[in-house]
Amino acid sequence: MDGLIGALLYSCSEHVLETMFFAPVLEEVDAAASDGHSRVTSRLHFHGKPCGDFEVDADPAVARALTAGFLGIEESDVKPLQEDEVMAEFCNMTCGSALSSLGRVEYFSLETPTTLRPAEFAPVVEGVRRGFLLDQGTLSVCLRVDFDRN
Amino acid sequence: MALQILIVDDSPAMRSFIKRVLKLSGIEVDEFHEAGNGLEALSVMLNNPIDAVLTDINMPVMDGETFVRKLRGSGPFIATPVVVISTDATTQRIQTMLSLGAVGYLQKPFGPEQLRNELESVLGVNYE
Repeated sequence: MDGLIGALLYSCSEHVLETMFFAPVLEEVDAAASDGHSRVTSRLHFHGKPCGDFEVDADPAVARALTAGFLGIEESDVKPLQEDEVMAEFCNMTCGSALSSLGRVEYFSLETPTTLRPAEFAPVVEGVRRGFLLDQGTLSVCLRVDFDRN
Repeated sequence: MALQILIVDDSPAMRSFIKRVLKLSGIEVDEFHEAGNGLEALSVMLNNPIDAVLTDINMPVMDGETFVRKLRGSGPFIATPVVVISTDATTQRIQTMLSLGAVGYLQKPFGPEQLRNELESVLGVNYE
């Protein structure tokens, strides 16, 4: 099951990045390489069948570039609040897209994501994690799905 | 035919993105209106001649399901086209929204062409 989730997570993340953030993925990287570094993190919990958690962490330069790409503005004009909103949108869209593609999902409801800036990132969600290299640095996503609880 | 479009989403960033994509899509928009939830959207619609509504589902105060149900209940907005834009593309959710009276459903992520196709289909126009 983890292999299927990992493949879906990769393809959905890549599709979201390219379609809505105009950010092509250069290659897949080891997601754990970001642990202990300064990252912008967005996280959400979802209810339903199944329930679970989703987490995204990104280099601050990646978060800024994604925000500029999403809003169609210059990176130098990006404000911290906009960055928080856009990282939350990425978290929301990628999680929703992955869950919608997962065959066994009956229904789900996403909680509002929270965005944080930990000095030394440590993943909170223990699930299937995939990492990506973009032009400005790395980004990783992690999905935990629990089919046994609502 | 230049349109008056109402975008309903609790995220200012997403509303901004949808406006940008609409501009890129080639659809002629006369005026954009925005609301952060269904209740605000109803207020905007009372004061503006809206041609089409693009709405999210998960929103505070009044969510997309309740909003569409109220629009379709009675009154002047019973025939205003509503397209749902959501990350949730489960069969159950799509069927629920269409049965409530939404006439289109667009899953995020989407690009300008998909949004244009959806609006052309819903409004019966062609912007080619």
